[in-house]
Amino acid sequence: MAKRSILHMLDPMPNNSPFDINMALDAGFDVLMPYNNVKLDSVRGLTQDAIFSRGPAGVKRTGIFIGGRDLGLAMDMLNASKQAMVPSFEVSVFADPSGAFTTAAALVTCVEKELKDKHGKELKDCNAIVFGGTGPVGIATGVLASLAGAETTLTDHLSIDTALDISKEYNRRFGATLKGTLAGSEADKARLVANADIIFCTAKAGIQVLSADVLKEAMRLKVAGDINAVAPPGIEGIKNDDFGAPLIHAINAQGAVGIGALAVGDIKYQLQHALLQSMLETDKPLYIDFRYAFDKAREMEFVLHADD
Amino acid sequence: MEKPFILHMLTTAKNLSPFDVNMAMDAGWVSAVPYINVEPSEVQGLVQDAIFSRSAKNLKRTGIFIGGRDTKQAMDMLKTAKRSMFAPFEVSVFADPSGAFTTAAGMVAAVERELRTKFNTTLEGKNILALGGTGPVGQAAAVIAAQAGAHVRIIGRQLEKAQQVADMCSNEFGDGKITITAGADADKAEYIKTADVVFATGAAGIELLSAALVASAPQLKVAADVNAVPPSGIAGVDAFHNGTPIEGSNSGAVGIGALAIGNVKYQAQNRLLKKMLISEKPVYLHFEHAFEVARDYIQSNAK
Repeated sequence: MAKRSILHMLDPMPNNSPFDINMALDAGFDVLMPYNNVKLDSVRGLTQDAIFSRGPAGVKRTGIFIGGRDLGLAMDMLNASKQAMVPSFEVSVFADPSGAFTTAAALVTCVEKELKDKHGKELKDCNAIVFGGTGPVGIATGVLASLAGAETTLTDHLSIDTALDISKEYNRRFGATLKGTLAGSEADKARLVANADIIFCTAKAGIQVLSADVLKEAMRLKVAGDINAVAPPGIEGIKNDDFGAPLIHAINAQGAVGIGALAVGDIKYQLQHALLQSMLETDKPLYIDFRYAFDKAREMEFVLHADD
Repeated sequence: MEKPFILHMLTTAKNLSPFDVNMAMDAGWVSAVPYINVEPSEVQGLVQDAIFSRSAKNLKRTGIFIGGRDTKQAMDMLKTAKRSMFAPFEVSVFADPSGAFTTAAGMVAAVERELRTKFNTTLEGKNILALGGTGPVGQAAAVIAAQAGAHVRIIGRQLEKAQQVADMCSNEFGDGKITITAGADADKAEYIKTADVVFATGAAGIELLSAALVASAPQLKVAADVNAVPPSGIAGVDAFHNGTPIEGSNSGAVGIGALAIGNVKYQAQNRLLKKMLISEKPVYLHFEHAFEVARDYIQSNAK
């Protein structure tokens, strides 16, 4: 009898995210096991405990999911888990803290698609600004855009030091070329928007980052993507369902289009579902981070409203 | 394809109750996932996380269970959970802290059955003493019985504490539409003279009503005891009693023991967990719903 599939869900937080629990079960895992308050130095032991009780066939029905809220910690846990594997006793590991990796991969994929469809451009031709760029989704988005060749700047709304430190740290980690800057005042934002081909808005839910007044300053803006689903949107004028709708307040940027949070969320959902399924289908163990997620998203065919 | 049934089980305690986990799986939930040490302030975030990864159709196959130990806190968490959702992103929520809501419902429904079958009467207008009634089961039983028309007095060792609990039951759980009174344990010899029904919901192994007090009760009809650990909470009532005459009662009272109550509790909890699975619309379940299904069970069993 085939062994039931098990997903060991490691989380540094006191609880797992119910979102991920639903996703994992819906992707076909039979049994979900939460592990809470997991410290980085426990990952090796937990991983080795998970791989040695099922035999080489059983490990294919076994996976590890890494949640939490912190991008760097999740990457460290993913690496620690990978390094703990022993040949022929290897399981797939998928890190997606706060869903940030799949959200960032979905956001950059959507923007890349619109850039190509509406403007015939590639990411490498573009100057990108990430507003709310120092949180998990912002950092992952920035790294992906930078690695794809876009001239990318992470902004923080409170501290230039935070923006600079984070850019430096993640450039070192992933070989990206991020810049960091402060986007505190309307004048800061206007100056940044004026030179942007792409705007990623990954700030906190329910906060308007870019007003119609600031958007008026955009001269060469092509695509803007927003992940905030709670009104007001991060970018004024973007609607949740927009996928390439004209950006009405960017009156000086011809053909600029917007992508709303539910459009990104729909792609994120399909991506996370596919990645979880791939852990069950693969012959070789997969180590899934935001870069892997982005590669997968770029080659996927997406449908609208996949879960209906 | 229809998605698997998931019950997200939230508790403020450091572990779920294995009782509830068994119950959830046996009712048909495919996956029961624990969330422990949950702060009431985290409920909104957890609920919203749970509802956004499934479509409206599949949310019917998703539920939230609220455990813990504290009735007020569980009711507040239930309200928060309900407020955190909006159509069509809604799931059913069931609160049953320490199993107290379904235990209380089982006890009151069993008492009601005995009043009907042995004494041809109802809970309406009956004087009920809830001995050791300041805990979760006592609180919920008091509210359920009061909502059915009984005059309930919560008896505790400290009158002040009993009064606070009685007020909370009347105002919070009863919406101010019921009035539950309080009394001190030291005065129970007096109260027992007018009691029709006694609930014993104290800590296990403590006798709350002595043989002498049972004998001194001129109108006692039914005495129910949730304590399964000897000595029993009510002298003369053992865990297996189920409408059994109490030896030493001068008013012909019958006893209901912990195992008989536990059986109705089990049925009520099972029915509510199943109701969440099959309901077309989201349902928000607590002690009132537990009492409804406990009554249904007793009626269907009587036929």
